[in-house]
Amino acid sequence: MSSSSNSDIRRWYVIAAPYLWLLIFFLVPFFIVFKLSLSDVATAIPPYTPTFSWSIADFVSKLDFENYTFIFGDPLYVNAYLSSLKIAGISTFLTLLVAYPMAYGMARAPKGWQPTLMMLVILPFWTSFLIRIYAWIAILKPEGFLTMFLMKLGLITEPLQIMNSTTAVYIGIVYSYLPFMILPLYASLEKINPALLEAAQDLGSRPWRAFWQVTFPLSLPGVFAGCLLVFIPAVGEFVIPDLLGGSETLMIGKTLWTEFFNNRDWPLASAVAVLLLLVLIIPIVLFQRQQQLEREAGR
Amino acid sequence: MSVATARDPQVKPASPQRAGPRTAAPQSGFAPWKDPAKEPFVRFENITKRFDDFVAVKNVTLDIYEREFFALLGPSGCGKSTLLRMLAGFERPTEGRTIVAGQDITALPPYERPVNMMFQSYALFPHMTVEANIGFGLRQEGMAKDKIADRVDEAMAMLELGQFAKRKPHQLSGGQQQRVALARAIAKKPRLVLLDEPLGALDKKLRQQAQFELMRIQETTGTTFIIVTHDQEEAMTVASRIAVMDKGDLVQVATPGEIYENPKTRYIAGFIGDVNAFEGKVSAASEGCIEIDANDGYKFKTRSTEPVTVGQQAWLALRPEKIRISHDQPVSAVNAISGKVEDIGYLGSISHYHVRTAAGERVTALRANAAHTVERTISWDDNVWLDWPVDAGVVLTR
Repeated sequence: MSSSSNSDIRRWYVIAAPYLWLLIFFLVPFFIVFKLSLSDVATAIPPYTPTFSWSIADFVSKLDFENYTFIFGDPLYVNAYLSSLKIAGISTFLTLLVAYPMAYGMARAPKGWQPTLMMLVILPFWTSFLIRIYAWIAILKPEGFLTMFLMKLGLITEPLQIMNSTTAVYIGIVYSYLPFMILPLYASLEKINPALLEAAQDLGSRPWRAFWQVTFPLSLPGVFAGCLLVFIPAVGEFVIPDLLGGSETLMIGKTLWTEFFNNRDWPLASAVAVLLLLVLIIPIVLFQRQQQLEREAGR
Repeated sequence: MSVATARDPQVKPASPQRAGPRTAAPQSGFAPWKDPAKEPFVRFENITKRFDDFVAVKNVTLDIYEREFFALLGPSGCGKSTLLRMLAGFERPTEGRTIVAGQDITALPPYERPVNMMFQSYALFPHMTVEANIGFGLRQEGMAKDKIADRVDEAMAMLELGQFAKRKPHQLSGGQQQRVALARAIAKKPRLVLLDEPLGALDKKLRQQAQFELMRIQETTGTTFIIVTHDQEEAMTVASRIAVMDKGDLVQVATPGEIYENPKTRYIAGFIGDVNAFEGKVSAASEGCIEIDANDGYKFKTRSTEPVTVGQQAWLALRPEKIRISHDQPVSAVNAISGKVEDIGYLGSISHYHVRTAAGERVTALRANAAHTVERTISWDDNVWLDWPVDAGVVLTR
């Protein structure tokens, strides 16, 4: 008896641990941010009001949705959200275009080569993300490596004006998130039985048609997972638009940062953050569902 | 009487009618390979295939005729699958030509060949329904939708798949998947269907059913079938002719009956069915009769037209069912040896008797359990006599 109740307790601990983690490091901070988004700015430390007090009724009565109405009333924020979604969407698509042939090549490479190729995909993670983005500044700036290289080749005569533009942001996002696209794509492509392609060709399908009729549909779970893994963080991306983007690059992550640190408007910034989470909840739920389906199909 | 004596005394040349396990030939007298005027439908011409250092197929020349059910038989790695894959276009021969219906198709890619294949793993498209799988080949031709539907229905009806039309492959049993794969391979009505170990994944009972289904489909559609298998019983059951392969070589091409009764080498004799082989030297050869002095002191007499010279090394190959086993010494037997029963394998319909001869050789004899009795008349450690008539064995020199 005692041993069984002992193991019950142990099992309870094991189940409770991750939930406790989520409670402390996700749910509690989220509620703090949510509460902040309902507060007002104040010239004080901390820079908002009301601060928490035990007279609950009084405390709650001071909270309101003013920040949210402000955000929806000012086209800047709405545009920043829309622009973020657009930039994230376009860069996700571009990442897919770049990653698919790479993942395909990896999956078709000789078995002995595949671990090495996988290693090469993961290799950039060994350097700090920030340093790699700074490196892109050196490449993309008007007197940078890319311009010099193309001028040497005689392909251009004027320096490229890529730096501090949305193009640079696309390049940065595609580069940074490429591994997140390649790995799920590779995983689903590698699983496809080569005999299926032989069967398609045997039944009269030319290689290109066989790809669209067989390989691509069977790689869709990987396409889906990869796109969400790129799209979700890209929407809230701050570092890349800040370092590579220009004044015309409007992204919500940057707006958020400006509100927090330049304007010191914590409540408004918190409202922006909460809305960003709401915007991303749909793709996140989609992603979870997809993973669930994958697991079930794998069994 | 022994079970094996009711045979035509003239062993060679074998009749084109199939003997052995298959009793009814689909078309009696169907033997286009005996007609020199007949053009072969499929022709492998000096085909060699090398993978780096490894020679998978060695200089194979083989003719297959229209409406044949042709089996490529051999152990794994003998090159039979490679030969089939070269016909489908997945591999290019290193040397030689492949001709189908008078057209040299050696350089054609798989999607331009008039050939459809059924794969060992079935290779059904997992994201498509049964219907869509079967119609895949027809869609590639740009056929009209309603015509495709008709042809798919026809193929599904032929294989009793109608009720599964909307299912995906993973919702089907192994036997059903196998039928979908076959339906897909015949949906385009190709003149040549290739089957790569098509029944390897099925259990024995289902496999036998499927073999007869294959034969039925082949006969009703009048298509030429080429099957690759390592299962000699399967090859004997379905095929009009069998090509036995060993390490990339074609060792014998003949009807199942001929291969069973007149194997060309000890390898074939051992691969197709069970065989007792006595090694020895030819002591006399005349008038279609050969005498062999076996290494263990026995003298055997066999009717054979095998060209041999006196003193040459030879083997007498003897099928277990052609040996009579009895307690009493046979009175007028040409070939008789005695021994002690070591093992009995009771298989219900038949029993195998493993007998250790006086000279120490192990010989297997087979007897049908004709009488309805649990008592076995021949038991372990019994001293028995084995005898066989002059036309029971085959003389092999290789």
